[in-house]
Amino acid sequence: MSTQEEILAKLKEAVVEYEEDDCSDAAQEALDAGVDPMVAVLDGLAAGMEEVGVLFDTNEYFVPEVLMCADALYAGLDILRPHITLDPDTPKASVVIGSIQGDVHDIGKNLVKMMFDVAGWDVHDLGRDVPLEDFVEKQLDVKSDVLAMSAMMTTTMMGMKKVIAMVKEKNPECLIMLGGAPVTRDVANLFGADGYAESAGNAVSEGIKMIGRLREYQKGEIQ
Amino acid sequence: MGQETVNVIFQPSGRRGEVPKGVNIIEASRLLGVDIEAPCGETKVCGKCRVRIEEGHFEKYNIHSSMSNVSEWMEEEEKFINPENREKGFRLGCVAKILDDILVFVPEESRSGKQIVSKDARDIHIDFNPAVRLYTIELQKPTFEDKIGDWERLTNGLEREYGLTGLTIDIVALRTLPGTLREGNWVVTVSVWNDKEVIRIRPGRAVRAYGIAIDVGTTTCAGYLCDLTTKEVIATSSLMNPQCKYGEDVMARITFHMTTPDGLKRMSDDIIEGINSLIEKAIVQTHPKKKKVKKKKGEEGPDEYVEVIEEGVEYLRITKKDIEDVTIGFNTAMHHILLGLDPEPVGLAPFPPVIHHSLDIKARDLNIDINPSSYVFTMPNEAGFVGGDNVGVLLSEEPYKSDEIQLIIDIGTNGELILGNRHKLYSSSCATGPAMEGAQLAYGMRAAPGAIERIEIDPITQDVDYRVIGHDKSRKESKPEDMKVKGICGSGILDVLAELYRSGVITMTGVFNKKALKENPRFRKNADTKQPEFVLAWKEDSSIGQDIVITQKDVRQIQLAKGALYAGCKLMMKRMGIEKVDTVKIAGAFGTHVDREKALVMGLFPDCEIESIHGIGNAAGDGCRTALLNKTKRDEANWCSRNVQYLELTVEPTFEHDFMEAMQLPHMTDKFPHLEGVVPDHVLNQGPKGPVIPK
Repeated sequence: MSTQEEILAKLKEAVVEYEEDDCSDAAQEALDAGVDPMVAVLDGLAAGMEEVGVLFDTNEYFVPEVLMCADALYAGLDILRPHITLDPDTPKASVVIGSIQGDVHDIGKNLVKMMFDVAGWDVHDLGRDVPLEDFVEKQLDVKSDVLAMSAMMTTTMMGMKKVIAMVKEKNPECLIMLGGAPVTRDVANLFGADGYAESAGNAVSEGIKMIGRLREYQKGEIQ
Repeated sequence: MGQETVNVIFQPSGRRGEVPKGVNIIEASRLLGVDIEAPCGETKVCGKCRVRIEEGHFEKYNIHSSMSNVSEWMEEEEKFINPENREKGFRLGCVAKILDDILVFVPEESRSGKQIVSKDARDIHIDFNPAVRLYTIELQKPTFEDKIGDWERLTNGLEREYGLTGLTIDIVALRTLPGTLREGNWVVTVSVWNDKEVIRIRPGRAVRAYGIAIDVGTTTCAGYLCDLTTKEVIATSSLMNPQCKYGEDVMARITFHMTTPDGLKRMSDDIIEGINSLIEKAIVQTHPKKKKVKKKKGEEGPDEYVEVIEEGVEYLRITKKDIEDVTIGFNTAMHHILLGLDPEPVGLAPFPPVIHHSLDIKARDLNIDINPSSYVFTMPNEAGFVGGDNVGVLLSEEPYKSDEIQLIIDIGTNGELILGNRHKLYSSSCATGPAMEGAQLAYGMRAAPGAIERIEIDPITQDVDYRVIGHDKSRKESKPEDMKVKGICGSGILDVLAELYRSGVITMTGVFNKKALKENPRFRKNADTKQPEFVLAWKEDSSIGQDIVITQKDVRQIQLAKGALYAGCKLMMKRMGIEKVDTVKIAGAFGTHVDREKALVMGLFPDCEIESIHGIGNAAGDGCRTALLNKTKRDEANWCSRNVQYLELTVEPTFEHDFMEAMQLPHMTDKFPHLEGVVPDHVLNQGPKGPVIPK
């Protein structure tokens, strides 16, 4: 029988080496050995993804590898997630996410979405080519903590500004996160967003950084 | 505290970077590897280094450029820059010191190392049936018995002699009619457009008429001046699209329109000016060269020129007014911008164009400076991302007349694909980005002297041999100082990925094969960027005093572009239900320079027989020329534009997966039996950790 450390290391390695089957096996092993599934997700799967983010940042890994790592991560997550029990008193954090109207690219968006999945958030994925009003409507409907939008083309990026204005007007509390190739920090500031991810890679590393914050959030340290 | 730096972007090359505040523009151009003429050695006397400082905010680079961001105007500049150009932002590069962020446009004449645009006309068969035809006619002088009007006299004669009926005449041509009839003593030659409208009347007998086919690319434009009576190509000319300063790709141009109040007009005016200079550059070749007359000591006044007539050369001496027909092919965004049509919808899914159908527009309405009554024919658009340039490719290759299934790949800033035969045709486009044209790579450059155009890497020693433009021997056959390398251009970029992979320098995932490169001095980590990089040419081979390298990030950029093309091909093949194609044709500015074996090695498209791969050059330009010389091709163009089925690749359910797999070399899962024997076994069948290089 492996120790908890060994099992977490296996999960991590399976993600980094994009081995889906190994990841499922390690997840099952974690459950069998009585490892807290939330710990397995955060310190196993997410930790592995954190390393993937570093490899991507140094150009060691490229989009195909990262996507395969994500597949491996989901294989493990599918097994672990049903066993995670959350404190019913702590409300679950939620996010509305999508690629903006006129844009049909969603690789980056899906990576960011994964990070929220890992963190156990309620994810409302609107998909791609999402009309501006739908973002606003959905956000107001589910009162999500975060609204995340992605644009891969400079032409579609302009739509984000409109959404931000509409959402902030009705719900100033909502945090807004932007991502996509043409989005720079300056653009994000200009549009009035709260956070941004420069590329799929930065989305990954930014997303990973967010996990740390999210864990604190869930523990009620940030209100 | 380090030295203060400012951002400088050079257009049209797209080179950008930070330079120390206070250096002049020439110095900055050297630091960033841009060539500006400076024969006087920055002594402010030759005036060759004229550049233009652009005014405004440039979203694409996120900088605000202004004339006030350079040092003050100096007296020496007045000699070379007139007040009008001064107003436009022109400065001398050796005078103007950079004080804050600027975007500098380097005009064609100020660039040293002129670009070699491989947009030569190919020898293709064209049926002869021009839209503009000449008819010479002798008329009776009016008398008291026969005092019918000049126009009716002319049309009666044309009907009698040539059976032309229902003719109309353009007002500008009509104004010349009475004078011309009398000047020619009632013998005139009329130019008739589409058997419908008289667009020019010349006195006497004229036998020649000229037209120009223009290919407006996002990055480069080309003109083919043709004789409309013999089909012959008389001259070709090319230039960088002057809109490059607003951004490299069509999206950036559309964004410029969306964010700048008069952006559309500025871009439209720029390209019209470009087209006029393209025409000028073509016709000037039909005149003798001119030489400046040396002034006597102390003599004042404007420069005078004399013609240098070469013996045995017949000069056609064509003027702008002699150009009587124009066809233009371009992608949909360039089409819209040139015509002043709102391009915004083309930039947003589902990307509908304003119009598909071709247009006949009076040249004077577009300010195109040719025979004023003539028409400009614009090629029809297929879809938002596939325009008349792709229709041009169809016209010149005619896959709709073939039984073989052809795959045609047009590599530009945007990649366009055609697949099919006489039974079914698909087209699609994919965002390849400017990487394959040399932009955005650490040492990417235009096809100009000093550019690496061919690369070979030894699969055992991983040593590099290469060829540069402007030097006829390879590195191995030359002394280092003869190479004068500056960077790497499109054809070299296609080579480099294939060679890095074939020699095991990178693994199939595209990452540098650290194990194999441990002892190789060419492989290193850049101290500043912390990026792994591989040296293609050492400092002593270069004319810019730097090692020419390809970085891990560069490799990734090329992988993205090639992955997009491969995924596009594969999705189209899936849609068509076929496993392999009969012929692969590669078009584009470097179409004829493509090494077909290497194109397959890098996995630009699915596996096929190497013999069935062909480079077809600038097929879009050839198609445009076909439409110029054969008007039935114009109808065919409209038919094509509506009968080719356009596939929007990114909405195909498996796009993401196919794209991801296609980024690897040559592909993550697809087999390449035709590469056996071309690529070493240990590379082609490498394991997940990369190839093990045999000692």
